[in-house]
Amino acid sequence: MATPEVVAEKRSLAGINSDYKEKFGFHDSEEGYAYKAPKGLSRELVESISEYKDEPQWMRDFRLKSLEHFENRPTPNWGGNLGQIDFDDIHYFVRASDKNSRDWSEVPEDIKNTFDRLGIPEAERKFLSGVGAQYESEVVYHQVNEKLEAQGVIFTDMDTALREHEDLVREYWATIIPANDNKLAALNSAVWSGGSFVYVPAGVKVEMPLQAYFRINTENMGQFERTLIICEEGADVHYIEGCTAPVYSSDSLHSAVVEICAKKSSRVRYTTVQNWSQNVFNLVTKRAVAHEKATMEWVDCNLGSKLTMKYPSIYLLGPEAHGEILSIAFAGDGQHQDAGGKIIHAAPRTSSSIFSKSISKDGGRATYRGLLEIADGAVESRSKVVCDALLLDEDSRSDTYPTIRIDENDANVGHEATVSKIGDEQLFYLQSRGLDEEEASKMIVNGFIEPVTKELPMEYAVELNRLIELQMEGSIG
Amino acid sequence: MAEVATLPPLPDQKTKGWEFTNLSGLDLDSYEPGSAAVSIGSADGAVVLPLREAGESHPELVEGRLGSLAPADDPFVARNDAAWSDGVLVHVPAGVTVAEPIRIEVPLSEDGVALNWRTLVVLEEGAEAEVWEHWSSPNDEVDALLNSVVELRVGQAATLRYVNTQDISEQAWIFATQRAQIERDARLDWTALGFGSANGKVRMETNLAGPGSEARVTGGYAGGPGQHLDYDTTQEHAAPNTNSDLAFRGVLAAGATAVWRGMIRVDPGAQQTDAFQESRNLLLSTDAHADAIPGLEIEADDVRCTHAAAVAQIDRDQLFYLTSRGLDEADAKSLIIEGFLESLVERLAEGPVRDEISAALERRLAEIL
Repeated sequence: MATPEVVAEKRSLAGINSDYKEKFGFHDSEEGYAYKAPKGLSRELVESISEYKDEPQWMRDFRLKSLEHFENRPTPNWGGNLGQIDFDDIHYFVRASDKNSRDWSEVPEDIKNTFDRLGIPEAERKFLSGVGAQYESEVVYHQVNEKLEAQGVIFTDMDTALREHEDLVREYWATIIPANDNKLAALNSAVWSGGSFVYVPAGVKVEMPLQAYFRINTENMGQFERTLIICEEGADVHYIEGCTAPVYSSDSLHSAVVEICAKKSSRVRYTTVQNWSQNVFNLVTKRAVAHEKATMEWVDCNLGSKLTMKYPSIYLLGPEAHGEILSIAFAGDGQHQDAGGKIIHAAPRTSSSIFSKSISKDGGRATYRGLLEIADGAVESRSKVVCDALLLDEDSRSDTYPTIRIDENDANVGHEATVSKIGDEQLFYLQSRGLDEEEASKMIVNGFIEPVTKELPMEYAVELNRLIELQMEGSIG
Repeated sequence: MAEVATLPPLPDQKTKGWEFTNLSGLDLDSYEPGSAAVSIGSADGAVVLPLREAGESHPELVEGRLGSLAPADDPFVARNDAAWSDGVLVHVPAGVTVAEPIRIEVPLSEDGVALNWRTLVVLEEGAEAEVWEHWSSPNDEVDALLNSVVELRVGQAATLRYVNTQDISEQAWIFATQRAQIERDARLDWTALGFGSANGKVRMETNLAGPGSEARVTGGYAGGPGQHLDYDTTQEHAAPNTNSDLAFRGVLAAGATAVWRGMIRVDPGAQQTDAFQESRNLLLSTDAHADAIPGLEIEADDVRCTHAAAVAQIDRDQLFYLTSRGLDEADAKSLIIEGFLESLVERLAEGPVRDEISAALERRLAEIL
């Protein structure tokens, strides 16, 4: 099998993640930060973040109100173990440099080095046209190509959006995920920083996916980005969020809020490839509303983090709206992926599907947790939920908790879930064709997740397959 | 009642597992603990006795077994423990096969009565028996409460067929905790029907405790106006090479709600487990509501676990086809519903059980349609 292409691929494959620690596991000097708030959360801190960013009064009030919600709510006691998080031992705000750079040449050298190692410039040369890259708590590098601007598309970091498009931001802000939605959303609402703002005018089709890279880089630093996507009538956009984070010794918290409004007949796809380092608590609230005939799709791939609790949701608010959630979770040693999705049918003739694939290995735990609701009045709605789980060894664990609530007789809902190990016959067949057991297992796992990876842009699909292959390495005893 | 203070508090909708069943209308004190005119059949070679009597005449068969499966920390089990008056013991000695079904009739007929009922079935090694239990009321006006605890112990290589049909008053409360423990190479075939009751919760738990054990659970329920049916099933695989197969079908007419919650749990080390779980609901009206909460918790890798849940209405195409063949709409509908339930009935081996279950479903459909 070791053709030159395979060897070359293996070499480049190794570059993706195997030498993660050597490659990405560095600290950039922390002295260069323009502003770094002390650890812990207080009213003063929230006020000073707002002041530092020179925000309007309504945003400051919103942050303070959110802080109250956060303080008044108990820590969730379901899902993963959140008791390990010490909310007082986290930096809630760090700013890497003073201004946003629009031009690559203006990006500070050390940050450039980081991106170099992450491969962003090449990626950009190849296919990126709009890049919002988050370094620390702020977007420092951001380029929107001229074509997007000419189409009237706004793709910027959230802080800039608040300054330059305040009315637009205010109109939609926290309308989909209110500050009191849950404890972590309240925390984000109080201390948010960075994230993306996307506005696509009516009828505009954004041809290239909009991409943002995120990194956590300071020890004990929280990352609380906030993303808002508004897709006007008949518009079409694909947003991609890819994460990579260096390895650190102490626990880190990532708690984002993503709100999406898909107006009539529009189409929004939001793709995430999450590969946080394995000490990160990744607790994210993502929700979209889809109006009449709109299509909303979440493609959610969870590979990294210590604990992920993330259930992207879709509210189908208009007739004939369609929602889709594709989810992959890979739980290795010490990891708990508590992922899934929620779809609420709130209008007639809406349709949806959830496909979840999870893999547990080396004592990891993968959980599918979902909700499918057909509310009163959502007549003639249809939905299908399929969850498949693969267990690679006897120390690992797989859970499936789908909830189905039906308030309408004129609905058609199906759910299926299967948990199994790699089939002996499949292994035997592939080995009889000359593959060794490890290669055969990788191939079977890649085949298992293929229904989801085929929905990813090619570059991401390749990277995801490689990441999973790497995680599979040495899995055959 | 003085001992009430020491009993665990009743659950509310914040209690885990009780989110979908509202007990705020339950006033336990308004029901007086009472007795019922129970009828208990007999069987050659087996001990079948009222539980109180058995406790005196055959203490060795009761002690250490009664209460061994039902969790005493459950609020309803605890109340049953403290107050039970009526019950039955079925004990089948090792190697004995009881040919005829053992029938037990438990009527809930008096207003204001709380009947704490207890069933203990013990099959020793290699025994075989069939136990039919029928919980009923003379009419749908009786305002009473049935709190049952059922323990089924299926010994090594024994075979138990347990049929429980529940058709109590639609004004009555029902709480039932039923747990089976199945030893090495033993087999349990459990069939349950739920037609009556206004509200409450019925638990059906099978613990596959011995290697090579097998459980087949078949459940059907049909609810009408004002009824809330709650079924909570668990298939626990605690030993390797075990097999469980559970299927539920529910039909809900206008004003009925149902929740079915099912869990397949595979303990570490329970390799070569094969587990299946399926729940399907048919809603006959926009006023019907169903929740399905299947779950899997798997801690062994060499397993095959599958579950499926579906909620649907009567297929319009099927209805159109049948009416185009000359059936009126009501007949066409009942034909479709019968078809929906047929797959449930087909799970039962041909014979008296299948015939009676089939007839009971038909009668019930005529009531709610």
